[in-house]
Amino acid sequence: MFTLIKLVQSLFGALHSEGTEGQLAAGIVLGSFLGLTPLVNLHNAVIFAALVLLNVSFAGGMLGWALFVPIGFLLDPLFDWIGHQLLLAASLRGLWTSFYNTPIVPLTNFNNTVVLGSFVFALLFAVPLFFLTRWAVVRYRVTVGERVKRSKFYRALTASKAYNVYKMFRP
Amino acid sequence: MKVKIFRWRAVGPLLVLFVIAGILWWLFADTIARRESQEVGTQILGAQVEIQKLHLDLRHGKVLIGGLTIASPHEAFKNLVQADELVADIDVVPLTEKKLIINRIAANGLRFGTPRTTDGRVAAQSGDGIAGRVLAETREWASQFQIPVLQLAAGKVSTDSVDPRRLSAIPAATALGARADSSHRAWQAAFDSLRLGPTLDSASAALERLRHARATDLAALNEARQAIDRLKRARDRVTSLERNVTQGATILKSGLAGLESARQRDYAFARSLLKLPSLDAPAIGAAVFGPSAIRPFEQVLYYTQLARRYMPPGLLPRASTGPSRVRRAGETVRFPKQRALPAFLVRSAELSFLLQPTSEQPRRYAGRLTGLTSDPALYGRPTAFQASGPQLAAGAMLDHVRAIPVDTAGATLGGITLPAFDVPGVPLKLDPGAATTQLGFTLNGDTIRARFAVRSTNVRWTRDSGFTNSAIGGLIWQAVSGISNLDVEARLSGALQHPDLAVRSNLDQAIASRLRAVLGEQVAAAEQQQRDRVDALINDKVGPVRARVNEVQNQAQAQIAQQRARLDDLQKQLEQRLRELTRIRLP
Repeated sequence: MFTLIKLVQSLFGALHSEGTEGQLAAGIVLGSFLGLTPLVNLHNAVIFAALVLLNVSFAGGMLGWALFVPIGFLLDPLFDWIGHQLLLAASLRGLWTSFYNTPIVPLTNFNNTVVLGSFVFALLFAVPLFFLTRWAVVRYRVTVGERVKRSKFYRALTASKAYNVYKMFRP
Repeated sequence: MKVKIFRWRAVGPLLVLFVIAGILWWLFADTIARRESQEVGTQILGAQVEIQKLHLDLRHGKVLIGGLTIASPHEAFKNLVQADELVADIDVVPLTEKKLIINRIAANGLRFGTPRTTDGRVAAQSGDGIAGRVLAETREWASQFQIPVLQLAAGKVSTDSVDPRRLSAIPAATALGARADSSHRAWQAAFDSLRLGPTLDSASAALERLRHARATDLAALNEARQAIDRLKRARDRVTSLERNVTQGATILKSGLAGLESARQRDYAFARSLLKLPSLDAPAIGAAVFGPSAIRPFEQVLYYTQLARRYMPPGLLPRASTGPSRVRRAGETVRFPKQRALPAFLVRSAELSFLLQPTSEQPRRYAGRLTGLTSDPALYGRPTAFQASGPQLAAGAMLDHVRAIPVDTAGATLGGITLPAFDVPGVPLKLDPGAATTQLGFTLNGDTIRARFAVRSTNVRWTRDSGFTNSAIGGLIWQAVSGISNLDVEARLSGALQHPDLAVRSNLDQAIASRLRAVLGEQVAAAEQQQRDRVDALINDKVGPVRARVNEVQNQAQAQIAQQRARLDDLQKQLEQRLRELTRIRLP
């Protein structure tokens, strides 16, 4: 329940933050990497650091993460297939071999079919996701955004303590 | 408005987060490594791997493992090995490439075959992963040697019922009967087409006229000569028919002989339904000791095949099941590279172990393992193992450096008390006592050559109470109970998929000769009984057919003989009368 409340808080907090649509969209894109790829991997530490350090919407990142976790589970067979095709492609064998024998790189588990497949998918999906999200946020803000902001529901939501934590990282 | 790219105030919290993560790792690294090692070990071996304590000392490149237990993948409540302590010196730098290079392992207090309270088999139960597949393959391989259990103890010669539909004499008799009927019809038609009646009648009439004719009655003489010609032509036709009948009769006779052959085949078939105890010494050896002899081969083959899967030759990418996690495991592909480090390597391991740890004076042994690696082509040398000690000499070599892997293993172990085992098919228990066992195993590509031998001079036999009522059991007991030496040897050779197994023992001849003496009469009686059953089933069909064939044949031949006699007689009378009238000898 708390997670759900936090998610809703994140959603509305992000949508009504002072950040630009681009910041929110970039946050969601970075969050989608966390959701689409298996979490406990080195590249996700880099993504998380980027989410924290870059001036993007952290709430958007959390939102993207939460939204894309189930999608990641659903698309695992596709990721497995993509990874399989890439890792066993004869033309890429030299690249993977040099990656595999380079320090640190193997710790990313790039040589796992699901990890590589999901990462490549997330990478390719990032550009359309960014533009789509930015357009959607703009539409939201110019249509129902103001009405929601004045609603009791929103005021109750933003009054909770969790919102204060969120404010620390708002753009 | 200019948007800043970095959120500098978040650097602090992020660093704090990383520090917390570092502290947590430092606190729980041992636990994580222990659990991970257990999981990976279990996955690799197909048996539960348990570690009581694991300590990582990366600063000094040391890993300390305490209380290692590896369950047996084949036996439910037995451990493959237990170790009190393992200390490993590892190279830290290759860890950054996710490569585990162990320069030296010192293993102390190894114990083999110790009992356990829970079933530690994983691959046998789940059948998943490489270990599960290899286990299933080796079980299937071993199942091809399953030998029928001998009914030695009861000494019973039992039979299955004879199914009349599977007897060949019955359809053969039916076919022969049909052929006899068809021959009969054909011959009768051919006989009718001879039209002998008018010829005989006209010849009789000509003879009658000739009897009253004079020598000058030329018409009567000519008529007689024409009648003789007609008789000769008719006899030719009869001769031709007789030839056909003789040929047909020969075919029918061969059909009767075929019925006899079919009967003999049916006897053989019925005999095959007898469940006879084998009377051949080698067969008895295989039946009695085969199942026990196959087990060590199966187990060695399991580990060899596992080694071939985890240590394949060559440098091609290798896919294996990924780590188990909530998300799909996928496959993890390794990319070995020439002149790079292998993903896993144990350069040297020194083993100190105990055999018979529960005895009063457990014996200490020492062993050494070198070059255990996931990429033999990179390491460039085969994996070698040797161990020695009191009454022990063991060695193994896994040569996967070249394209065709060659795996060899050999061990001689003396003074080991082998567990007593039930002799299959006989309520006898054989306790080999302190025995010397030898194992030799070579798997060269897909060609296997293996030998397993057990020798003991202190064999003890015990028999079940139910054994006392069995005459055969008593005889076998007499035959073997006085034998205190045991010498069993099993040899395996040929293509891995279908090798030949030969098992011999010094007990084979003793048991076989006893069986032959007692069961010979029973076997003969059972065979006679089966023959009687076959006869009872087929005689009803074969007897009438045989009679019918004879009847058809005799009838045709009699008919022909009768008509031929009439033709000959008339011709003779006509010729005699003509000679009397003309006194000229006809040509």
